[in-house]
Amino acid sequence: MLLVDDSALVTGALRVLLEETGHRVTTADSVASATAAALAEVPDVLLLDLTLPDGNGLEVLDRLRAEDRLPRTVVALTGHDDEALAAHCRSAGCREVVVKPVSVRVLIAKMREWVGEEAS
Amino acid sequence: MSRADTGAPDVRASALEQRLAALEAQHVEALREIAELKARDQLKTQFISNISHDLRTPLTAIITHAEILRDGILGPLNDRQAESVTGVINGGRQLLDMVGEILSYAKGSANQLTLAISDFGIADVVQRVTALNESLVARKGLTLSVEVAPDLPTVRGDREKISHVLGNLLGNAITFTPSGGRVWVAARAVEANAGGEILVEVGDTGIGIAPENHDLVFREFAQVDSSPSRRHHGTGLGLTIARRLVELHRGRLWLESTLGTGSRFYFTIPLVPSTP
Repeated sequence: MLLVDDSALVTGALRVLLEETGHRVTTADSVASATAAALAEVPDVLLLDLTLPDGNGLEVLDRLRAEDRLPRTVVALTGHDDEALAAHCRSAGCREVVVKPVSVRVLIAKMREWVGEEAS
Repeated sequence: MSRADTGAPDVRASALEQRLAALEAQHVEALREIAELKARDQLKTQFISNISHDLRTPLTAIITHAEILRDGILGPLNDRQAESVTGVINGGRQLLDMVGEILSYAKGSANQLTLAISDFGIADVVQRVTALNESLVARKGLTLSVEVAPDLPTVRGDREKISHVLGNLLGNAITFTPSGGRVWVAARAVEANAGGEILVEVGDTGIGIAPENHDLVFREFAQVDSSPSRRHHGTGLGLTIARRLVELHRGRLWLESTLGTGSRFYFTIPLVPSTP
């Protein structure tokens, strides 16, 4: 899976959680590095922060779509609990919108669901 | 005499012109100052918004790390360790709520609060918000009762924001009611000038609010007890935001309270306009 957030504090915490629960994690901290990482290896799940230093996280999806390399499951990570923003993310191709801080229990369950569907 | 008669009007006119010019200059200066104050206020609001957002990031990391420990993902904890880590999580979440309140306030000040409108039942909102507070009610030794009239019509509004308002009022009721007291939530349909509306009441048998403080509690940053030794902490923004959110729905939020006998907060939400 590919985890994209411009804060090393956030990716550090989520990496511990995800790796300890059995996922292989790559991280990126910008639109450019996330796009490069996803093109190098299309992740099963893309967890995508929206506010990145070189643009909006959703731009990553535009670039991957143009290359026909969209991951099957894309989940937006955001600090804003905002329904209008969530609707925008869904229309851009996100399966879900997760508001930070997501509960560890919820994220573990959701990852199982996302990855499980990928495997089936 | 004749000279004075001919000269005096000129003098008066000249004095009036000077006075007028001075007033105009003052007016221009006042407008400039207002514009400058507005610009500074906007800057301050933007700053509050940015800092609130930036505060969330490290808090998110702290809470996530603590939850990883609490859930035993890195190995089992003994009871005291689990208790301590739970304290970190609860403290972090409380801080996060306060940061969220400040962010909502900043957005409201910048007129950036928008409503995600849908049709929903108020009973569901009441059920969800009261369920979230049940453990807190039990811990404080309070009784919580809910009375929602059956078959209430649907309301049109922002479900999350109405939930936030109810959560804020119920949270205050629980906070300001000593152990053994009662808190309640009631909802019913009432007639109003421009059609029907839903009236929601959140009441408690808590410490109450003196009449002279009824307006104060809705004022931004104000708290009835603002002393450093105050027993109840918070941003002082909760009710300001709640009232703003209700007013965005064209509803009203008000209170009835007597010191020592409890408080009743009410808000109204207009019903979905009936289609012809």
